[in-house]
Amino acid sequence: MKDKTDPVSGVFWLIFSAFVSYLSYQLGLGTLHQPGPGFLFFWTAIVTAILSVAVIVISLRKGPPEKAQRPTFGKKNATKIVLVLISLFLYALLMEQLGFLIVTLVFFIVLLGAIEKKRWSFAVLVSLIVTVASYLVFEKALQSQLPKGLLEFLRF
Amino acid sequence: MVEILQSVIFGFQVALQPVNLIYCFFGVLIGTLVGVLPGLGPAAAIALLLPTTFKITPVSATIMLAGIYYGAMYGGSTTSILVNIPGEAASVVTCLDGYQMALKGRAGPALGIAAFGSFIAGTFAVIALTFVGPLLSNVALAFGPPEYFSMMIVGITVLTYLSSGSMIKALIMAGVGLMLSGVGMDTISGKYRFTFNIPSLLDGVGVVPVAMGLFGISEVLLNLETEINRDILATKVKNLFPTLKDWADSLWSIVRGSILGFFLGIIPGGGAVVASFASYAIEKKASKHPEEFGKGAIQGVAGPESANNSAAGGSFIPLLTLGIPANPVMAILLGALMIHGLQPGPLLMQNAPDLFWGTIVSMYIGNVMLLVLNLPLIPMWVKVLKVPYYLLYPLILLFCLIGAYSLDNTIADVIIMLIFGILGFLMKKCRYDGAPLILALVLGQKLETSLRRSLIMSQGDFSIFVTRPISLGFLITAVLLLIVPVITQRKRLSTLEEG
Repeated sequence: MKDKTDPVSGVFWLIFSAFVSYLSYQLGLGTLHQPGPGFLFFWTAIVTAILSVAVIVISLRKGPPEKAQRPTFGKKNATKIVLVLISLFLYALLMEQLGFLIVTLVFFIVLLGAIEKKRWSFAVLVSLIVTVASYLVFEKALQSQLPKGLLEFLRF
Repeated sequence: MVEILQSVIFGFQVALQPVNLIYCFFGVLIGTLVGVLPGLGPAAAIALLLPTTFKITPVSATIMLAGIYYGAMYGGSTTSILVNIPGEAASVVTCLDGYQMALKGRAGPALGIAAFGSFIAGTFAVIALTFVGPLLSNVALAFGPPEYFSMMIVGITVLTYLSSGSMIKALIMAGVGLMLSGVGMDTISGKYRFTFNIPSLLDGVGVVPVAMGLFGISEVLLNLETEINRDILATKVKNLFPTLKDWADSLWSIVRGSILGFFLGIIPGGGAVVASFASYAIEKKASKHPEEFGKGAIQGVAGPESANNSAAGGSFIPLLTLGIPANPVMAILLGALMIHGLQPGPLLMQNAPDLFWGTIVSMYIGNVMLLVLNLPLIPMWVKVLKVPYYLLYPLILLFCLIGAYSLDNTIADVIIMLIFGILGFLMKKCRYDGAPLILALVLGQKLETSLRRSLIMSQGDFSIFVTRPISLGFLITAVLLLIVPVITQRKRLSTLEEG
């Protein structure tokens, strides 16, 4: 199996640096006497682009490795990782609307119950303990201002 | 000399205040815990806990965050020895002989010598720090923009040179970090750059959410894929105190490790991980029985464990005296100090002597606490290891979420953290090292300002960087580091890792 990560990542960084160099050029390079806001980033992007090409060239020259390699992404837990990521993004997007207590409780129940497939009673119990404990530690003891969201009316 | 002594006494007055003692204790305790837990390193932990320090004084905050770093160096050895899983990167090499010792029923002496070695090395580093710090501060006062520019270039080059894997990839990472540092307002022209009219990007991309993503979230994602299998050694840990023969065998390893680690710690780009590998290599060379290495040689535990602690102490020097972080952990600490309104650099010692000396002296105290804490608490740490991962990772994720949000009470930082979590996961898959990215991101603004100021000073003449001797020296070092791997086969840390 051919390891494709190097050429792919090389192309990614190449596109990324090409984009940045274009943006920096537009910002203005200035003169050497008075370098503009895009100066350093334009040249950094150019150098990074050259290095990305080097990564691509080296990987193509090496050709496919002789030994069969492990696949870069194991299929086994791919769904789990995707599910965890979705929950994380939902947590971030909903935490201000729903409030810390609700999202944290739901987040934990989902992770333990749905993703880890533990018993629901166990999941709910642990989630309740974690939510209350983290609320006491962060909101009460450390005075982080966690969003109250829907429960704002409770004012505790 | 008298001055330094007075300063140290002043430092003790600061560090011995009950509130600072408590934060020091919390710092080393959390540090040890982080060191014990695989998949959560000191960089992520400091980033996570940074928001919890907003309500306390900068001195207490720095004392606690520093404690996490050197505390993690202690804790990391425990898992390496007992479970063959390094709690954090600086203890990878300890697995080689530490776990072998444990298999032979000598887990006790291995843990003991690691703790004592760490203590001796940590104390050595703090004493050296006390004397070298002020010296370097004075030198740095003479630095102008060109010197700073060249020094930061060396810092980034050293880190890319030392990072495991391909140096080209490490340089790409440094480039990406530099580009990211440009997001936000340009301090010289007042123009906004790379913000795409997104309000949350106007202030730039924060180091802390990026670090949490690259070192915290991505690590969890990786572990979810592999499912750590932890067989904890069933044998009882006894006889923590090494025998006289153990001491005789490892004394010089500890001494060598301490000195080596300290100097590798000072060099920008060096640090605990490099120091532990270098020490192992040296101990193997120095030993009369190199064939015993990898089969449970106590020197293979004593040397690297001393070196990583000494390096952790040493790496505070460039941060506190030059304002230049030597490694990602220090980069986050720099961010922390800046959030607390302090500007680390040569003036820190004059402007905030309580912070400078208080932090240094707190490390003496922290080291004593660690020694006391670690030996009797080893059974408890082993229990902590038994916490199943399905409980551990949701907690790590929750801390990341709360930590990122509390930075500025905005979900923008949480989103940035998650994006970099995914990026970090993919980067690890493609063997890119996140450390140069973080360092370049932190240094980026200073690098740009000093470059542009230098060019304004010299009226656009680039020779300013080579006509000033200190700057020239730095640049020659950087060029050598870039050329050496091309000419000779670069001795890779990764080969050691594999061996």
